[in-house]
Amino acid sequence: MNEVRHGTTEELLAVRDGEGTAWAKAHAAACEACGAELYRLEQVRSQLRALPTFTPPRDRWPVIAERAWRERRQRRFSGGMGLAAAAALAGLLLVAVQGTRPDALEAQTMLRTAMARSQAMEQVLKSVDPDARALTGATAGVVVDLQRRLESIDTQLGDPSEGGNDPHRQAQLWNERAGLLSALVDVHTTRVAYAGL
Amino acid sequence: MADTIPLVEARSLVARARAGDLGALEQVYRAYERSVYTLARRLTKTPEDAEDVLQETFLEVCRSLGKWRGDGSLWGWVRQVAASKALMRYRREKLRATDVLNDDVAGRADDDVPLRLDLEAALQRLPERTRTVVWLHDVEGMTHEEIAELMGMTTSFSKSQLARAHQKLRVWLGGEGAAR
Repeated sequence: MNEVRHGTTEELLAVRDGEGTAWAKAHAAACEACGAELYRLEQVRSQLRALPTFTPPRDRWPVIAERAWRERRQRRFSGGMGLAAAAALAGLLLVAVQGTRPDALEAQTMLRTAMARSQAMEQVLKSVDPDARALTGATAGVVVDLQRRLESIDTQLGDPSEGGNDPHRQAQLWNERAGLLSALVDVHTTRVAYAGL
Repeated sequence: MADTIPLVEARSLVARARAGDLGALEQVYRAYERSVYTLARRLTKTPEDAEDVLQETFLEVCRSLGKWRGDGSLWGWVRQVAASKALMRYRREKLRATDVLNDDVAGRADDDVPLRLDLEAALQRLPERTRTVVWLHDVEGMTHEEIAELMGMTTSFSKSQLARAHQKLRVWLGGEGAAR
């Protein structure tokens, strides 16, 4: 007695996907049971595709943007800030070469003070450890804005055409940098205090 | 799911994003956030897991945008990153041998009882990796080869998981229970 061999689910799925064997295609076309099963498999796929989509419950973009910006800045930090420090050093050397002129000495002092202030704020920010904490959307937006401005200043500090040899301009940029870092520290510490952490 | 950003526009957005334009990255995010979140919801256990996958996916997109060659759909690439992140989460949790529909492993005691679930509930009832294969193949249109590569398995694994999943769905959705 010969038993009819029906297509397996795997064989019929291959037919559904346009990849079935010649035998499976011919059998599915001729066999009522396998034809019905093939139709059912097509229907399930259509129904799966028609299931509703989901909307994220919160807007994650501010947090993603803030972290992406921070990572990008960290990657650029060694190269970018190396240039900035070199430019500042060049400014200091220029002031030194200009000797003992009172305005040159004053500019030298201003630049050194501004750089030291910026470096100190950088250390304070590190001690806050902002990387270890999640941000709310609103806070992340503020942080992204501050970091964007910080990056703009870093770019200017690394660009000789942006007053790279002018110690007054450089001191101003380093002071602005320190101010932005201080604001970042405030944002993170306020958030930490608010969260009771 | 269809790509909502035409290829020419995608190339332009990616070029701007590579140059540091955060606005371009946000456009990419806005175009795909629902699709990625939906994919993540289907591939993970909880809405919270899906949110994490959404975030991890776009952080990876921000980091690795240079890897998109611009010759295929941007959504296809983003989708691959998202699926990979969801699977990594799954692997991190635990690689449970019993989480795959396998001949050698006994299923749930009531596996073959016709439950007449709706499709949503039946899909959720599938083990995570099996559900992943079904979703990536039947809904996202990925090939068995692509799924196998993504999951670090063979194409036979992907095909057999899909077949077994459809056999289970047939029972749970109230169809005939005969094995094929």
